[in-house]
Amino acid sequence: MEDIYLKHKEKEMNEMLQLKGIKKSYGGKIVLDGIDMDIENGEIVSILGPSGCGKTTLLNIILGITGCDEGKVLFNGEDMTGVPMEDRGFNIVFQDYGLFPNLTARGNIVYGLKNRPEITTVEEVEELIRLLDLEDHLDKRIDQLSGGQKQRVALARTLVMKPKVLLLDEPLSALDGVIKESIKERIKTIAKRYDLTTVIVTHDPEEALTLSNRVMIIENGKISQYGRPEEIITTPQNEFVRKFILHQLEIKRNNILTLFGGDNGARLAVREG
Amino acid sequence: MDAGRKEKEIKLILAAVVVLFGVFLVWPMIMIAIQSFTSDSGVGTEGYKTIFAMKGFGTSIKNSLITSGLSAVITSALAFVMAYTVSYTGVPGSYKKFIKTIAFVPMFLPTITYGFAIIYAFGRQGLITRLLGGRQFFDIYGYPGLILGYIIYTLPISFVLIYNTMGYIDRRYMVVSKILGDDALRSFSTAVLRPLTGTFAASVIQCFALSFTDYGIPNAVGGRTDVIATVLYNQMLGALPDFNTGSVVAIVMLLPSAASIILLTYIERFNIRYKTVSEIELRRNYFRDISWGIGAGIIALFVIGIMATVFIVPFVKSWPYETSFTLDHFRKVFSDSELSGVYRNSIYTATLTSIFGTLVVYGSALASSRSNLGKTGKKTIESISLVTNTIPGMVLGIAYMLLFSGTPLQNTFTLIIVCNIIHFFSTPYLMMKNSLDKMDSSWEDTARLMGDNWLKTVVRIVTPNALPTLAEVFSYYFINAMVTISAVIFIVGSETMVLTTKIKELEHYQQFDDIFVLSLLILLTNLAVKCIVHIITIRKKGRLKTNEKEN
Repeated sequence: MEDIYLKHKEKEMNEMLQLKGIKKSYGGKIVLDGIDMDIENGEIVSILGPSGCGKTTLLNIILGITGCDEGKVLFNGEDMTGVPMEDRGFNIVFQDYGLFPNLTARGNIVYGLKNRPEITTVEEVEELIRLLDLEDHLDKRIDQLSGGQKQRVALARTLVMKPKVLLLDEPLSALDGVIKESIKERIKTIAKRYDLTTVIVTHDPEEALTLSNRVMIIENGKISQYGRPEEIITTPQNEFVRKFILHQLEIKRNNILTLFGGDNGARLAVREG
Repeated sequence: MDAGRKEKEIKLILAAVVVLFGVFLVWPMIMIAIQSFTSDSGVGTEGYKTIFAMKGFGTSIKNSLITSGLSAVITSALAFVMAYTVSYTGVPGSYKKFIKTIAFVPMFLPTITYGFAIIYAFGRQGLITRLLGGRQFFDIYGYPGLILGYIIYTLPISFVLIYNTMGYIDRRYMVVSKILGDDALRSFSTAVLRPLTGTFAASVIQCFALSFTDYGIPNAVGGRTDVIATVLYNQMLGALPDFNTGSVVAIVMLLPSAASIILLTYIERFNIRYKTVSEIELRRNYFRDISWGIGAGIIALFVIGIMATVFIVPFVKSWPYETSFTLDHFRKVFSDSELSGVYRNSIYTATLTSIFGTLVVYGSALASSRSNLGKTGKKTIESISLVTNTIPGMVLGIAYMLLFSGTPLQNTFTLIIVCNIIHFFSTPYLMMKNSLDKMDSSWEDTARLMGDNWLKTVVRIVTPNALPTLAEVFSYYFINAMVTISAVIFIVGSETMVLTTKIKELEHYQQFDDIFVLSLLILLTNLAVKCIVHIITIRKKGRLKTNEKEN
């Protein structure tokens, strides 16, 4: 326990995003209660939970669209709680991307440069476009893009603003199969390339555990468990994590194993039963 | 909410809207209510006692109720036949287009014109009377003429309501009902009639309210049958104007129409909205197609028969005596500087009404749909929209006449334009709000994170995407400003005469050739504006398909 504490102290010196005792209620109903969270610089963290657990509200509090009743949002030790959304230097890709249909893909990507031309150079924009493999789609209208392309355009548009923290609201939920995996890889690549702190909200345990360095599981507005994916798998801290997170993954695994070869699948099915 | 948006601009817009409607809607309405309780002998219900004791007033209310009510039911039934033919039968596409067009056309003409068109169609020497061998089946003055006129007037509105709802009814219910063993009649009733009940009621109420408060039709074909609108006109602009009695009549007219609109808003809550609308292939059924097709065709012919006079009379030397083709009437109107001046006035009024009306509507809809304005702010705008819908044009016009006579605003274009903007606010506001509500709610936040302020986002993102609806709002205001007579008749002056009020004046001198030329000009101008807007809308809409979730 002691060395964890020391590590913790050490981290506080580093660049990081911290939530302290966040509490939020709507009309008397408590949505979030006592949320504490540290996110290291360059780390990908997922907030995982069923719908209605308060995870999107938490994301909105970090972003600054929503205020909180109690608690603090700190970035590099600086109190951000009262700072307006646009002055925090965080940025988000919303669930349905929020692309502007009256502009082309390119128009969307460079949208922010009209307001702050100095923020990103032409070369940097070009690199981003290459990194997200968007060269061939720049002049397309939004409704001509596929879901995966839309997601990449939205990512590019946000990254042009050089956010200090990148927030992603259900980034994969509208995508299917193979595209999901490729977007996952891109998110990882980008977080690494730009050393970008990334917070992802998702309801899908598989997504959360395969994409992030750490996962925060929320149940009914409270932290259920916060840890690295392997910690959650090996040492689930409570019934909720075991039942809803691990159980789901096991069913998935068994289904897949059954598909690929009878023996393993059957054995696991017995163990699970 | 410390980190939330400040939205100074929105609050400014809200304030401007509140001031506009406070001065030009609430205040006039309060004044007219006060006036109705004032008489020469002081304050009290004297005016109401006098008017109800007045000979014939009860009859005129009865006439209004009967003709408006009857025509509302008939119109809704006819509109149903037309909408059903378009939505649920296999008649050819071109025929559907034809039926739809005919159902819409009456919208482009002032009601006063239908009145005269009916006389020229069904009168003793009328077009249809002559086609039928000179036999007149009924006397058009009085009930038949009124009902006929109201039907044509309200047919487009009723058609739009029913046709739109039919578009929302899931066609799969037809299939489900058939699979479950319903016979044709039962399946028609479960899959079509039942989901339409609310809309049908709405249509009857809306048509009733419109007819009840219309002045143009009874003015032309009422004959000796008085209705409340003609009583009101005579009280205010007749031989012996009496403002006190006039305002009492105005309040009497306001109450039923306000009650029906409030009832309408209540009913709309119960309307069924199917989430998914799936098209299914219609079963081939020639009997169904032919019978509905003929039904709709007869209605269309009846509308065309009456409208035809508007196209024929202006090009004929002297209907019905000399029926040779001529352009003299047009030449005369265009060389008459007074008449062409009136046309210019109308275009000017309609254009400015559209521009400023669209701005007011857009501002209000932005405030109520795309802002973090508190409940009170949004409620205020919603109430304004509801109230403008309940106030008949005549009542608004009379209130303006009472309030602004003797002020610099009297008889000015400004007053006419403001009056139109307020009178027709409700429908375009709802159109605009619906369209803004459908847009992605994260745009403002996204744009703000990229350095936009609210105004910038409105200019760069919201407005380009709202352009088709803005164009529709523009044309709605334009067309209504061109055809309205009820409110403006009380506020125009000799310098600010518009086409509809000029038609009323020409009637006095029996100059029907001019009346029909002016009517045709209104129709053509409206069609031109509608066409331009249609082209813009189609072009934009093609480009602005909202991002659907697909891969």
